[in-house]
Amino acid sequence: MIPFTHFMLVGAILFCIGLYAVLTKRNAIQILIGIEFMINAAIINFVAAGQYDKDRMGGQLFALFAIVMAAAAVAVALAIILKVYQHYKTIDPDKIDQLRN
Amino acid sequence: MTLDTPVVLTDLAIAAAILPLLSFLVTGLFAKPGKGAFLAILTIAISFILSAIVFSQTWNRLDIHQQYVWFTIGNTSFYAGILLNNLGSLMLLLVSGIALLVHIYSTAYMKGDAYLHRYWAHLSLFCFSMLSMVIADNLLLIYIFWELVGFSSYLLIGFWFTRDAAVQANKKAFIVNRIGDLGILSGLMIVFTQFGTFDLQQLLGENGLIINAFVQNGEWINGVHTMPAVWLTVAGLGFVLGAIAKSAQFPLHVWLPDAMEGPTAVSSLIHAATMVAAGIFLLARLFPLFNDTVLLVIAITGTLTALMAATIALVQNDIKKVLAYSTISQLGFMMLAIGIGQYSAAIFHLTTHAFFKCLLFLSAGAVIHEMHHVKQVAPVDFDHQDIRNMGGLRKHMPVTFIAMLVASLALIGIPLTSGYLSKDAILISSFEWAALRGSWSKIIPVTALITSWLTAFYTARLFFKVFLGKNRWRILSPEGHIHEAPPAMRYPLVILALCSTFLIFSVNPLLYEDAWLLRGFPAVESLERINIIHTVIPALVNLLAILIIYFAWQQYARRDKTIFTNRGFFYDFAFNKWYIDNLYQAAIIKRVLNLAAFVRGFDRVIVDGMVHLLAKVGQALATLSAWLDTYIVDGLVNGVGILSKSIGNFARNMQTGKLQHYLLITLFIVITFFIVTYFSLAI
Repeated sequence: MIPFTHFMLVGAILFCIGLYAVLTKRNAIQILIGIEFMINAAIINFVAAGQYDKDRMGGQLFALFAIVMAAAAVAVALAIILKVYQHYKTIDPDKIDQLRN
Repeated sequence: MTLDTPVVLTDLAIAAAILPLLSFLVTGLFAKPGKGAFLAILTIAISFILSAIVFSQTWNRLDIHQQYVWFTIGNTSFYAGILLNNLGSLMLLLVSGIALLVHIYSTAYMKGDAYLHRYWAHLSLFCFSMLSMVIADNLLLIYIFWELVGFSSYLLIGFWFTRDAAVQANKKAFIVNRIGDLGILSGLMIVFTQFGTFDLQQLLGENGLIINAFVQNGEWINGVHTMPAVWLTVAGLGFVLGAIAKSAQFPLHVWLPDAMEGPTAVSSLIHAATMVAAGIFLLARLFPLFNDTVLLVIAITGTLTALMAATIALVQNDIKKVLAYSTISQLGFMMLAIGIGQYSAAIFHLTTHAFFKCLLFLSAGAVIHEMHHVKQVAPVDFDHQDIRNMGGLRKHMPVTFIAMLVASLALIGIPLTSGYLSKDAILISSFEWAALRGSWSKIIPVTALITSWLTAFYTARLFFKVFLGKNRWRILSPEGHIHEAPPAMRYPLVILALCSTFLIFSVNPLLYEDAWLLRGFPAVESLERINIIHTVIPALVNLLAILIIYFAWQQYARRDKTIFTNRGFFYDFAFNKWYIDNLYQAAIIKRVLNLAAFVRGFDRVIVDGMVHLLAKVGQALATLSAWLDTYIVDGLVNGVGILSKSIGNFARNMQTGKLQHYLLITLFIVITFFIVTYFSLAI
């Protein structure tokens, strides 16, 4: 039996990697990948926490729900990125500053 | 137009007095440097002619008195006017006459002086004040012109103001005269309080207030007003103090010898003939005011001064100093005459003395003038006024020699001169006066007698040393030549020499009682005529005087060396002027200066110190508040500014516009929130 703490650690590491990618990358797609990492870290935590609710399977249910939500979000996000690239000829979020000034 | 109406005469007298003022104003305001002589001489000449007319019309006639309202204070009106009686018109003539001669003399004597216009202006001012004083009809006016005389004398003594000695001398004369002015002012106030008027005619004329006032039971009663009798004496002494200062009497005589720093012509006019006579004139004007005590004070002062000045004159070597002391001595004689009640004799001596002393000074001036020329070509520097450097001038300056001879004889009082008449009048009267009093009072006439012999000696010494004997100046200045004085100087000498003989005063050269001038004044105290005195005294005086002159001739003219040594107590005592100057220096001047230094020190250390301390405290407070303002008040204001600026900067820096920064910040906030929540729950 793998202890609960190890799941939590893997989740935390995944979340941190995702967070790092979101904060440092200059490419919107890489950032999107970072976001996916963080969502999956949360999903792992959901699944791990599911062992304490074997009757209703709440953890697994929430995980499936979150995977659907993430897939939808990625689809929307990629569409936005495509439209942004068409408009700005870049997907670096720092350069997309037309709303300033 | 007739000349003898009072209005015309007073107008003439006023014109005579005002003309020199005109000259003073015009010369003082408009004259170019070195000019002014013509106007000054013209005005004084007209003054003299007018004075002569006035004199001829008023002498021995009724007094002329014209007055006008001057100003009114409350109910009291003050009048200003002209009083022409014998005394006033005689003085008017005397002053303008001598002033005219001195003016003419000055054209030559002062020739080439760079500040000549100033000289003429000041001389005219002096003539104006002196002429106005002698005809003024009230004490206030007299006092005003008296002050003006003192002031113009101050200007003239200090004419060569670049010389330190002249500056010191005019300061001294002015300060010493101030002491006398104080006396006159107190006298004026007492007289006005008692009688309510300054008018001389009201005070002293027929049935005048002073004459009708009397002393009873220690009270001085005037019908209207009464005050303790002591004030009568005080008023008299006040006026006497003024006369003592102006006429250079002991103990205020110290200014006159120093005043010789002025030009010699000025010394002649002011310090021999006119200004110093002002004191005698004042005493003669106010004669009825003086009681016996005051008269005695006058007599004693006069006698003491005469003796003192004569002894000092014995040992002086400066030609002008000798003459200055002889002036003081002769003024002492005049004071003595007033003191014994014979003010007519005093005025007589004043008149004769004015002529022969003026002549002496002008002759001395001629000698000094020539000696100065000799000095200029001399290889060595020497004092051209020192009689030890003169000698043998008779052959070179015959006219001056004869003029000086006449003047010297008049000063000694040898018969046939004017001095003989007036001096005998005083000496004989003083013996008659003493005969009526106790034996102690003999001291006064005897002292006067001794003084007249001393006069003979010092005058002879001066005369012989200058005009006879060896040409001592030749040794000092082999190139030098002495010439006769120029005509402008010579003719005044001749005129004055004629006036110094008996001719214009009396037909009888031996008997002073025949002099017309003496009869012009009432003999105040009718002394019994003691015939023996009238014969013995003149004989005694003149016999011994001639012996003394012969002795002096032996000493100074023939052998050119003397049996007298310059040592011993008496020599030192006389040479140092009876130590009076030293006494004043030690007793008064030094103390005053010490006091002044102390007050100055007090002022600098304490008063200034306090002020400075106050300033320092204020400065310190100001520094403190400046510091507070800079660092606290401004600091507060700036601090608020800086704070909001830094907050603004901080907030601004967060608005980078970069998406990831916002995310990072959000992350930090979330983490911080969690940490705070965690720890606050833990606590």
